[in-house]
Amino acid sequence: MTTGIRLTRTLYEHMLGDLRRPHEYAYERVGFVSAKTANISSEHALVLLTEYRPVLDEQYIPDPYSGARINSAAIREAMQRALDTGGGVFHVHMHEGRGKPGFSTMDAEETPRIVAGLRTAAPEAAHGMLLLSGNHCTAWVWLPGAGEPGTPAKVSVVGYPMALLV
Amino acid sequence: MSNERFSRQSFLGEGSQPIFERAVVAVAGLGGGGSHVVQQLAHIGFLNYVIYDLDVVEDSNLNRLIGATEQDAADAMPKIDVARRIITGLRPRARVDAFQCRWQENVGPLHRADLIFGCVDGFSERRELEAFARRSLTPLLDVGMDVHCVGNEPPRMGGQVILSMPGGPCMFCMGFLNERNLAREGERYGAAGGRPQVVWPNAILASTAVGIAVDLLNDWTRSLRGAVYMSYDGNKGTVQPHIRLQYLSEVECPHYPLSLVGDPLTRLSLSAEAEASVR
Repeated sequence: MTTGIRLTRTLYEHMLGDLRRPHEYAYERVGFVSAKTANISSEHALVLLTEYRPVLDEQYIPDPYSGARINSAAIREAMQRALDTGGGVFHVHMHEGRGKPGFSTMDAEETPRIVAGLRTAAPEAAHGMLLLSGNHCTAWVWLPGAGEPGTPAKVSVVGYPMALLV
Repeated sequence: MSNERFSRQSFLGEGSQPIFERAVVAVAGLGGGGSHVVQQLAHIGFLNYVIYDLDVVEDSNLNRLIGATEQDAADAMPKIDVARRIITGLRPRARVDAFQCRWQENVGPLHRADLIFGCVDGFSERRELEAFARRSLTPLLDVGMDVHCVGNEPPRMGGQVILSMPGGPCMFCMGFLNERNLAREGERYGAAGGRPQVVWPNAILASTAVGIAVDLLNDWTRSLRGAVYMSYDGNKGTVQPHIRLQYLSEVECPHYPLSLVGDPLTRLSLSAEAEASVR
């Protein structure tokens, strides 16, 4: 079973632009992007990222030990979005630089808890976490009914020009 | 694979060959246009294919079907097998997912495609393929030619290559598809009798499409930044941007808004699969 993720170049550049904005005290920014599935079969799943919403400035909690800590209101809003639409939601943040980024220990421990809430809100959708760098990305994807996350075989930016982030 | 194989196309950029080798290209329709397309993609080095054609080779195809032989016609060889032979003859380790059916009958594998070449007949099928491509956020390169006869005038040969990019103008926005030609199609696509086709316009149009695909994937010209609608005049031997491009709106395509991507039936089929697995 392979999973692919696609997003338009417009969305990709919008996310990069937003996540690169400095914050008053958080070291990184976070957003949530909606996701839809175009196909899920026993061999291949295709997840489409559609609409990005940044976490608001006031929804960050000062925390010297993490790049960005967001409050419960930000998480509730993302869950509400999943509940309202029945669609998927991906947690997104960025590690500046080039090459394949890696989730930090804190990312790997804490973000899946947020995803668990999203999956409860919309159990029939694909959810996940996405980490961008300047030209690459890393993602974990929870398909409906899957116990463990999978990593996508391909993450494609669709537009002029096309790009493969994974 | 030796570096020598692709040394003459190294100007495309150091990272190009890995891009071509990872990309999944789909070709719907392996007739006059599609057979040229797969041949060129294989020469360039593409390694992953999803191809569709219901038909077998017939004598009447041999004036234009690249790679087909008299023996193939005698054997009624499926066109997908001709295409597979061309591809694997050039790239033995290519993965070729070939389906002897209309693409609509097995859309699952088409979701793997990073880029679809639409070499299908008729306006209606083009509309269906574009709708699929838009739903799955897949760029579509439409390739087609036609011949019209009017009175005692010489036949008029024309064709088009259209790049339909999700979010950008679609074939309706570009005026290539409209209700009138869709309605008329029930009668026939061409006007010169049984779908007139010859080899050279297909070659020109397929080459144009493949060139656009390469540029889209590796950005070697750094200039492909918007809609493509190339118009071919077979009587003059010219290919040029269609005049309608000048009048396209910058707003998002109203026919296929990005908010409607995805397959609404995915969740239903998932539920059915989940139920089946529980039983």
